[in-house]
Amino acid sequence: MSTAVKDRKPLGLKIALWAFVSIWFVCAAFPFLWTLWGSFKVELDFFSIADWTNAIFGRNTADTYGRPFTGAGYDGAFVQEGFFGNAINTMIVCVCVVTISLTIGTLGGYALSRSGQGYVFWLLITALMFRALPQVALVSGYLPVFFDWNVWGYLPTAIIVLVAINQPFTLWMLHSFFESIPKDLDEAAKVDGCTQFQAFRHVIIPVMWPGVITTGLFSFLLAYNDFIVTSLILNEGNRTMVPQIAAFLGTTYTEGNVMFAVAAVVSATVPLFILVMFFQRQIVSGLTAGAVKG
Amino acid sequence: MSGVTLNNVIKRYGETQVIHGVDLQIEDGEFCVFVGPSGCGKSTLLRMVSGLEETTGGQIHIGDRDVTTEDPARRGVAMVFQTYALYPHMTVQENMGFGLKMNGYPKAEIDAKVAEATRILKLEEYLKRKPAALSGGQRQRVSIGRAIVRGPEVFLFDEPLSNLDAELRVEMRVEIARLHKEIGATMIYVTHDQVEAMTLADKIVVLRKGVIEQVGAPMDLYNDPDNKFVAGFIGSPAMNFLKGTVAKGGKVDVPGLQTSIKLPVTLPSEGTAVEVGLRPEHLVVDRNGSTHRVELSESLGGVSYNYLVSDSGEKIIVEERGVDRSAEGDVVGLKIDPESARLFNADTEMRIR
Ligand SMILES: Nc1ncnc2c1ncn2[C@@H]1O[C@H](COP(=O)(O)OP(=O)(O)OP(=O)(O)O)[C@@H](O)[C@H]1O
Ligand SMILES: [Mg+2]
Repeated sequence: MSTAVKDRKPLGLKIALWAFVSIWFVCAAFPFLWTLWGSFKVELDFFSIADWTNAIFGRNTADTYGRPFTGAGYDGAFVQEGFFGNAINTMIVCVCVVTISLTIGTLGGYALSRSGQGYVFWLLITALMFRALPQVALVSGYLPVFFDWNVWGYLPTAIIVLVAINQPFTLWMLHSFFESIPKDLDEAAKVDGCTQFQAFRHVIIPVMWPGVITTGLFSFLLAYNDFIVTSLILNEGNRTMVPQIAAFLGTTYTEGNVMFAVAAVVSATVPLFILVMFFQRQIVSGLTAGAVKG
Repeated sequence: MSGVTLNNVIKRYGETQVIHGVDLQIEDGEFCVFVGPSGCGKSTLLRMVSGLEETTGGQIHIGDRDVTTEDPARRGVAMVFQTYALYPHMTVQENMGFGLKMNGYPKAEIDAKVAEATRILKLEEYLKRKPAALSGGQRQRVSIGRAIVRGPEVFLFDEPLSNLDAELRVEMRVEIARLHKEIGATMIYVTHDQVEAMTLADKIVVLRKGVIEQVGAPMDLYNDPDNKFVAGFIGSPAMNFLKGTVAKGGKVDVPGLQTSIKLPVTLPSEGTAVEVGLRPEHLVVDRNGSTHRVELSESLGGVSYNYLVSDSGEKIIVEERGVDRSAEGDVVGLKIDPESARLFNADTEMRIR
């Protein structure tokens, strides 16, 4: 049936569609592919001023290492600079942020969606307002206190701040997922002998699963990609990947190694691809929230 | 097994009161149907019995137990929802067994009870399916099965059939009647549907604006309504009401019929405004008369409903059967059997007996 409908489209439209999709795909994928390719070259090639095709064919790389490809960037980042430690820090931060914000978010979102009180709306609006503030405004407010209390520089501090910044969003999102689940389900469970919490645990959460996964993924991405909070709060020894990549790039005062940064960027991007591929079905069904009909 | 007793039950949402002191006695094993116009508080009252809605005032007893403040889980009730409210992530079997599982029954016992309910409702084929893979009628059967499995003292139904198509509705109605015979538990059933109410009920409770208008067996309500509201609500098409005045000699003048009728009731004083209630099936078209014009005629096959207009502009619905029926535009008269007419006070709307 659906193929029959597709086949009826005029040829011109089909060509236009394909052209559009191809162009979009190239535009979207090109930076990644370019960086991936370039990460196996030396800086002189990748950032060649003389001839941009050097970045593709790797002439200088071949001069230095005898082959047009080299793992020097990765070697430098991981072996020399210990980027692996940064990756582990990122994992710790992400897992903690996702766990904490999902725990608070599901419980809170459920409670808000089932309370029926007038203040729920204002609570959510307030939460949204905090989310709308520039993060740097919040973090700079925290900083003096953290110095005072001597907690600056550690992972748990960054985790708490990220959870705080992230929570309004998770709460908001999970709340709307819970709203879409008919209250009849809770009530049926309660008549069936559940307490409110058992109804939540045995009936609502299993139905909510796609929503929880989607929200968890967004929290994960926020924690994973965060630069402002982690770069301002973590000290050099506790850096996560993103601030470390920034450090590789160097500043006006410190010398960096751009190829380390490029290799690190590629290493940091790959897990995201894998993650999204892995969860794509849940994400789609979570984003179309109507999927959780009784 | 046990009955349900409501004592001066009240429900308020903040300032607005929606149930105004309801007293009701439902006997053990009785099938009780709540009817009434939309928004009259049928669902609210049912949910108060289930414990899903808090009771603001009064007491609710199930059997000898006062359950007014009890949790739904501990009242010994099971509820069937209009939207079925099946757990989408569980199979039919798990759905039906969930209540027992939550109450810590051993698996063998759960399986036995689910098998029994499955047999009663003929659901064997679907045990392993998820609700999404069932039709509306099958889903509603599962949700009834879920109620049966728990062996509750009281079954509560909130318009369980209103999401089904007409044919399935009839089928399920018969099924519920059979179920009541087989299980014999107390059942409370909310519906909009006249036919469901009349056929299923041992006792009908007519509600209006949170107040009970009348309680009684279906035919008692039909034949002997306490007031104009009940008379108009029970029966389809509804009873005709014609304006009248009490006249001399124990008669009532009815301009809509261009006649006076003598009714076997104790009439109020002369000149009192009354309303005469006449059911469509109690009126007979008189081809020789010329008091009414047939404005519209609906033929449903075995029966026709004729919409008559009198000279005074009042509308009357008349039922006609048989081969020879009147057509639109005919001018006819009406024959009335005074025994079948019901008289109501025009101001208080109370029945005059
Ligand atoms: N949360 C609430 N706050 C205020 N009023 C409410 C609330 N819930 C219900 N009501 C009111 O209570 C009254 C009874 O509602 P209920 O749902 O019991 O009606 P019903 O008889 O079941 O109607 P229907 O036949 O349409 O289902 C309605 O007038 C409704 O407006
Ligand atoms: Mg209702």
